[in-house]
Amino acid sequence: MRPYRANIKRRPAPRGDFSMTILKRYLPAAALLALALVAWWWIASLEAVDDLLVASPGEVLGAFGDDHELLLEQSWVTLQEVLLGLAIAVVAGVGAAVAMHLVSPLRDAAYPLLVASQAIPIFVLAPLFVLAFGFGIGPKLAMVALICFFPVTVAMLSGLDSVDRELLRLTRSLGASRLRVLRLVELPASLPQLFSGLRIAATVSVIGAVFGEVAGADAGLGRLIFLGNNQLQTPRVYAGVVILTVMAVGLFALVALLERLAVPWKRQGGTI
Amino acid sequence: MQTKLEAPLTEPLSLDRQATVALTGAGRSYRSRAGEVEALRGVDLELGPGELVGVVGPSGCGKSTLLELVCGLQQPDAGEIVVAGEHAAGARLENCAYMPQRDLLLPWRSALDNAALALQCAGIPRARARLRARPLFERFGLAQFERARPAELSGGMRQRVAFLRTLLPRRPVLLLDEPFASLDSITRAEMQEWLAAALRDEPRTTLLVTHDVEEALYLADRVVVMSARPGRIVAELTVPFERPRPRPRNETVTDPEFARLRRAALEALAQ
Amino acid sequence: MTRLARIALPTLVLTALALGVGACGEKKDDLAPESAEKFVLMLDFFPNADHAGIYAAQAKGYFEDVGLDVEIRQPPDPAAPIKQVAAGQVDLAISYEPEVLQARDRDVRIVSIGALVREPLTSIQSLPSADIKTPADLAGKTVGTAGIPYQSAYLQTVLDKARVNPDKVKERNVGFNLASSLLAKKVDATLGGFWNYEGVQLQQEGRDPQIIKIQDAGVPTYNELVFVANADALDREGGRLRAFLGAMSRGTLALERNPDTGIDALLKANKDLDPKLQRESVKVTLPLLLPAKGRPYGYQDPREWDAFVSWMRENRLVKTITTAESALTNDLLPGEGPGK
Repeated sequence: MRPYRANIKRRPAPRGDFSMTILKRYLPAAALLALALVAWWWIASLEAVDDLLVASPGEVLGAFGDDHELLLEQSWVTLQEVLLGLAIAVVAGVGAAVAMHLVSPLRDAAYPLLVASQAIPIFVLAPLFVLAFGFGIGPKLAMVALICFFPVTVAMLSGLDSVDRELLRLTRSLGASRLRVLRLVELPASLPQLFSGLRIAATVSVIGAVFGEVAGADAGLGRLIFLGNNQLQTPRVYAGVVILTVMAVGLFALVALLERLAVPWKRQGGTI
Repeated sequence: MQTKLEAPLTEPLSLDRQATVALTGAGRSYRSRAGEVEALRGVDLELGPGELVGVVGPSGCGKSTLLELVCGLQQPDAGEIVVAGEHAAGARLENCAYMPQRDLLLPWRSALDNAALALQCAGIPRARARLRARPLFERFGLAQFERARPAELSGGMRQRVAFLRTLLPRRPVLLLDEPFASLDSITRAEMQEWLAAALRDEPRTTLLVTHDVEEALYLADRVVVMSARPGRIVAELTVPFERPRPRPRNETVTDPEFARLRRAALEALAQ
Repeated sequence: MTRLARIALPTLVLTALALGVGACGEKKDDLAPESAEKFVLMLDFFPNADHAGIYAAQAKGYFEDVGLDVEIRQPPDPAAPIKQVAAGQVDLAISYEPEVLQARDRDVRIVSIGALVREPLTSIQSLPSADIKTPADLAGKTVGTAGIPYQSAYLQTVLDKARVNPDKVKERNVGFNLASSLLAKKVDATLGGFWNYEGVQLQQEGRDPQIIKIQDAGVPTYNELVFVANADALDREGGRLRAFLGAMSRGTLALERNPDTGIDALLKANKDLDPKLQRESVKVTLPLLLPAKGRPYGYQDPREWDAFVSWMRENRLVKTITTAESALTNDLLPGEGPGK
């Protein structure tokens, strides 16, 4: 391949002091977070609020210190469930979307069912999954996969549908078969939308894992929180919730990063 | 199909491989919300091998429908269309290269890969398609932009890449649908000169649809004027200049003969 | 990044994770000897002090001694133990006497083969500020329950016995949040918390809870936790079930001699339990895990059960059954039954 040397006029990126840019971007969020922490501290310190009900930020920090081994262990269990469940949802979701896109009658049949499936309360499904997949990681994966399947499929389908009709006509006039059009044009074109769906899936995936664990687990953050709640170990419960939040945010960031790598043209403002 | 694409790109398409296009009494109607809409009526048009015919007409007169009928994306409701001796839509499609109004370049592909797309659609693997596209880029002075993404290119540059994409499959008939409509007048003038030169190097039987009378007269051997819907041919003007034009564009378009033709065309349009 | 890398990298990462999880997710190897048969026990809830005897028996190898490889499972939901044992998906389940009777009333094919906790643990709990020393003090107060129908019936019986006008007492459904609703002062008292668990919790946290045991307030006594087996499998499985109860008896005695065996095993298998709470809980529960004087381990008193069925009938909690006869058997208890 020829090395890349081109006389292309690029739009100059806004440059300033890099650290100042970071600061400016995250300052409002940090300030809001600090405000929330202060409010939390104040509420927890009130006489009327029993300290078994609301743990103060200090106590939660203490729980991180005292229980760090336990928290780490359980977090790892839940993280595995989340990642694997997400992977399953992505593979299944993309596959389903492509199938529905290619086969119209399938889409007409499956789409309403897909929407309806989201209405079923999760806690009804949890025991059913245990029945179907036994004990172990199976039902948790099923839970995560189910929660994440919908946003991924809908987003991917939307992305596939959004390809310019004229472009499809052009490729057809160039002699491309249905599958070739899918591979060369529709799949890459749908990536931005897919990542949109992935961002949602990433954030709700954690909830799925927790629900799956509450329905019966030997380990995991969901179980830890449930049991901690049951034993009035409020700081530990909060610590678990904090970790879950961080996990969700982290996954979101990971997806955003993957998007930058896989869909670089989005930043440059190209549309199709 | 494959044999047509094997011709080496360093040589232009030979004249005997250039095709004729003939429409006889072609008509086309749509069903729309307003009822039955007649887009084209009784179109008689012939293109000899290597001829460039410009089609001008008001908006909605069916110019784009005309192109789609010729290349086989649509079938006429009345009359006959023959391209390179073929009647069937599929065969017409294989002989035509259609360039739509928008460049439709894929933002995730480089300029070279966008042009190569034309061959990849036909099943040629990417590496070989690139190999074929590269000489074309060199020949038309776009070699330095091979790796650029569409977002980095100007409007005129993108149209050029789209045009190369249209040329690559080496189909004998070229159908251009208002290719320069989205460009500013200065760029448009540049592009017209570029296109004239390109067609000199890669002659094709060409049907050029445009709303710009001057553009049609500058580029074509003949200019056909269409009426408002239902589209019919109301006038045909022969452009007496050689193709490619011997003089630069600004001299050509200020020639009194050119002005006379323009007046005639505008009068025909006004009817 | 090249196109191939763009696709390959996320795929590799996910595959690696999947493999890693697959390796980590494997159940630990069974350490039981080849001859031991698998025996699945489903608990009533997450593991806690009530189950210390089971963990003690397991730690001491008493199950292995009788050829059982016991797997302790948690229920996916509160209704699962009875459902799963009736469906034959687990060998034995732990459930509650009222629920066993209600199931029998609907002709579900289960039977209680032994008592794990032979007296009620359900209690009425309140904080000193509510000033509830006897059931009569409930007048004009709000009571939180878990929303279980037979526990609402307990409340009505208690009020009846104490001659409190039920209209003067407000019942509120707080679901799982018995302790927290009490602490948040959303309710004056709760009915449904176990005195050996929530009661001990509140005690340890210095809240000085006022506890009224439900059987002291007018509700007939019953076995809080019982072992439930599939009625149709009794002939086939009787030997194994008997062996299980035998091992339980030994385990519970071992627990009495040295509570730590059971507690340590319980904590080891469930690292997120609170050691202080569980230890104290085991201490106060132990007398109920052990059989009454002169009775075999796990003895269920048929007269007590019948009286409870009568109470349930009065309160329209069961319709078909008139006695507890079809719901329990003491034949599998150690030292009981034919041939022993």
